[in-house]
Amino acid sequence: MTGKTARLIFWVGTLTSAAIFLWQTYDFHMQTPKFTHTDKLTEQVVAGKKVWHKYNCNDCHTILGFGGYYAPDMTKAFYRLGENNIASIVQHPDVMYKNSFRKMPQLNVSETETRQLVAFLRWVGDIENRHWPPQDEKFVEAYKLRESQPQKLDKVHLVLQACGGCHTFENQGRNVGGDLTTIANRITYDRQTLINYMINPQSVRPGVAMPPQDVSPQTAGIIADFILSLKSTKEVSK
Amino acid sequence: MLVEYQSQRVSLWYFRLALVLFILQVVMGLWLSINYAFTLPQDLVNVFPFSTARALHTNLLVAWMLLGFMGGTYYILPPECARDLFSEKLAYLQLALFVGAAVTAVVGFLFGWTQGKPLLEIPLPLDFVIVVAALIFIANVAMTIIKAEVRTALQWMLLGGVTFLALMYLFGMPFYQNLNTDYYYWWWVIHLWVEGAWEVVTASIVAYIIMRVTGVDRKVVEKWLYVETGLFLFTGIVGTGHHYYWIGAPDYWLWWGGIFSALEPLPIVLMVVDTWMHVRERKNPIVNPLTWYYIIGLAIYHLVGAGLWGFMHTLPPINYYTHGSQITVSHGHLAFFGAYALLNLTIFYFAMPRLKGINKYQDRLGKWGFWITTIGMFVLGLVFGIAGILQTYLERFLDIGYSTAHLTMMFWFRVAFGVGLVFLAGVIITVYHLFTIKPSSIPAPEPVVTPASNI
Repeated sequence: MTGKTARLIFWVGTLTSAAIFLWQTYDFHMQTPKFTHTDKLTEQVVAGKKVWHKYNCNDCHTILGFGGYYAPDMTKAFYRLGENNIASIVQHPDVMYKNSFRKMPQLNVSETETRQLVAFLRWVGDIENRHWPPQDEKFVEAYKLRESQPQKLDKVHLVLQACGGCHTFENQGRNVGGDLTTIANRITYDRQTLINYMINPQSVRPGVAMPPQDVSPQTAGIIADFILSLKSTKEVSK
Repeated sequence: MLVEYQSQRVSLWYFRLALVLFILQVVMGLWLSINYAFTLPQDLVNVFPFSTARALHTNLLVAWMLLGFMGGTYYILPPECARDLFSEKLAYLQLALFVGAAVTAVVGFLFGWTQGKPLLEIPLPLDFVIVVAALIFIANVAMTIIKAEVRTALQWMLLGGVTFLALMYLFGMPFYQNLNTDYYYWWWVIHLWVEGAWEVVTASIVAYIIMRVTGVDRKVVEKWLYVETGLFLFTGIVGTGHHYYWIGAPDYWLWWGGIFSALEPLPIVLMVVDTWMHVRERKNPIVNPLTWYYIIGLAIYHLVGAGLWGFMHTLPPINYYTHGSQITVSHGHLAFFGAYALLNLTIFYFAMPRLKGINKYQDRLGKWGFWITTIGMFVLGLVFGIAGILQTYLERFLDIGYSTAHLTMMFWFRVAFGVGLVFLAGVIITVYHLFTIKPSSIPAPEPVVTPASNI
C-alpha cells in the first residue's frame, strides 16, 4: 500500500461516515416530535427537567439508561411508582428508605418543584423507546390496563403499584409499612373491614401511621381479596 | 540531547498535575464502591451523596486525561515541527485557566453547584473558561505548526484531533428542552470524544512515540496512522448510533449503530498488529523495557477493554438487557484504563525521564506498578462484569426486582472495594516512581537511528 492509498482511505472513510451521520441527525430532528410527543412538552415539563438537573438526580439514577447506576432507572418511573409515590419519595426519602439497604439524600425539593418533576417524568415515560427498560414494561402495561379495563387487571400489578410505595411483596416495593404476606397472616379483619381500613385507616385502628388511600371501594375490594388470599392456613403455617 | 527544545518543558507541569488527579480519581472510586457495598447512614448521604462523589470521580478522569493529552501534544510538537512552541506563556496561561476551572468546579460540586448532566456537570460559566483555555491551546498548536518549516502528516493529524475534540465539547453546553435531543448531543461529546477525537489524538501521539523508540521509518508509521484513524472515524462516527437504540429514535439506528459499532474493534486490531510489527522490525535497541511494556500493554488492553468488552454488548438484542447496568461499568473501566489511562502513562514514561535528562531509568518499582495496576484493573473489570450479569439476569431476565438484584450485588462490590485498594496501591507506586525517577547504573545501548534523521 502506498502513502497515497492510505490518505485516500482516511478521507473516504471519515467523510462517508460523517455524511451518513449528518443525514441521520437531520432525520432525527424531523422524527423526534413523533417519538417524544413534543406537543405534550409543556412549560411544566421543561421546568421539571430543570429540577432534574438542579438536584443532579442523573448521577445516581439512570434515565433512558444513561447516568449513574446507583439507583433505579427513571425512564418509566411515572408508571412504576405513580404520582403520589414519586412525591413522597422525593420529599421524604429518609422516611421512605428508613429500612432500605440504600439511602437517598434529603434534597429539600419544594412542593412546586416536585409537581414539575412529576410532569417531567410523566412526559419521559411516554417517549417511544422500544419498551426499554425491560423490567418496567409490566408497570406500563398495568397502568394502561387500569385506565382502560380495570377488571382485567393482574392483582399483583395493582397491589404493587398502589401499595408497593410503602409495602413489600415478594421482595418488591418499599419496606416502610411491612411485607404484605406477613400482614395478611397477622390481621384478623374480614373483607369489608379491610376495605374500610384501606379507605380510612383511622376508622378501624385509631392512631395507625398509614395515610388514607384514594381508591374506589371496587378497587379496594380487589386488593382486599388479594391480601386475604395470601393468608396461609393454620396447618400450613405451623 | 534528550530534550531537543526548551519549550517541551512546559509539558512537565501538565504531567505532574495529571498524576495527582489520577490518584484522587481512584480514591473517589473507592468511596463509590463503599457506597455500593455497605449501607451508609442517612446523615452522611445527605451531606455527601453518591451523585456528588460520582461527579468528582468522572470529572477527575476527564481532567487528567485531557491534561495528559495536552501535555503530550506540547511535548511532541516542538521536535515534530523542528522549532520551539509558538508561546510558552500561553501554554502556562492555558494550564492555569484549566486548573482554575477544575478546582472551582470541584468545590462547586461539593456545594451542589452543578449542570446536572452526567460527566458534563461543570456549570456553564466554567464551561466558558474551559472553552477559552481550549482556544488558547488550539491557537498555540496551530501557530507552532504554521510557523514550522517542516510539514508532516502527524502535525495535521494532531491539530485536527484537538480541534475536533474542542468542537464536540460545545454540544454539551446548551440546555435542551427535550430529553432525547439532550442525550442525542450528549453522545456527540462522550462518544465522539472517546471513539473519535481522542482516538485521533492518541493514535498520533502513540505513532510519534513508536517512531522515536523503534526507529521505524516515518513513512511506514504515518501510513498506518492514516489507515487506523480513517477506520476509527469511519466506524466510530456512525457507530455513535449504538447509544441511540433506546432514546426514542428511528428504527434504522439499530442497524447502522449495530453494524458500524460492531466494526469498531477492527482499527484496534490493526493497531495491535502494527505495534507488534514495529516492535519486531525495530532498528533501535531497547533502552527502557518498561516504556515498551506500556506501549504493547496499551495496544492489547485497548483491544480487550474497548474492543472486546464493547463488542460484547453493542448489538441491540443484547444491549436491550445490558444497557444502563453494571456491565456498562465493567466496559467503561476497562476501556478508559486500557485505551486512555495506559496511553497517558505511556506518554509519561516516554517524556518524564527525558525531561529530567535521564536516558535509561531504574524501572524495578515501575514494573511493580505496571503489573499491579493492569492486573488489578482487569480483575476489577471482571468483578463489575459479574455484578452486571447478576443485575441483568435477576432484574431484567427473571424480573425479581431491583432490591433483590442490588442486595445480591453488594457482595461483589465488597470484592471490588478490596481489588480497588490493590489498584490504588499500584497507582501510588507508579506515580511515586514517575515523580522520583532515577537514572539506571546499567549503560544504555546506543541508538542506531538518531531522531534527527527520521524527521
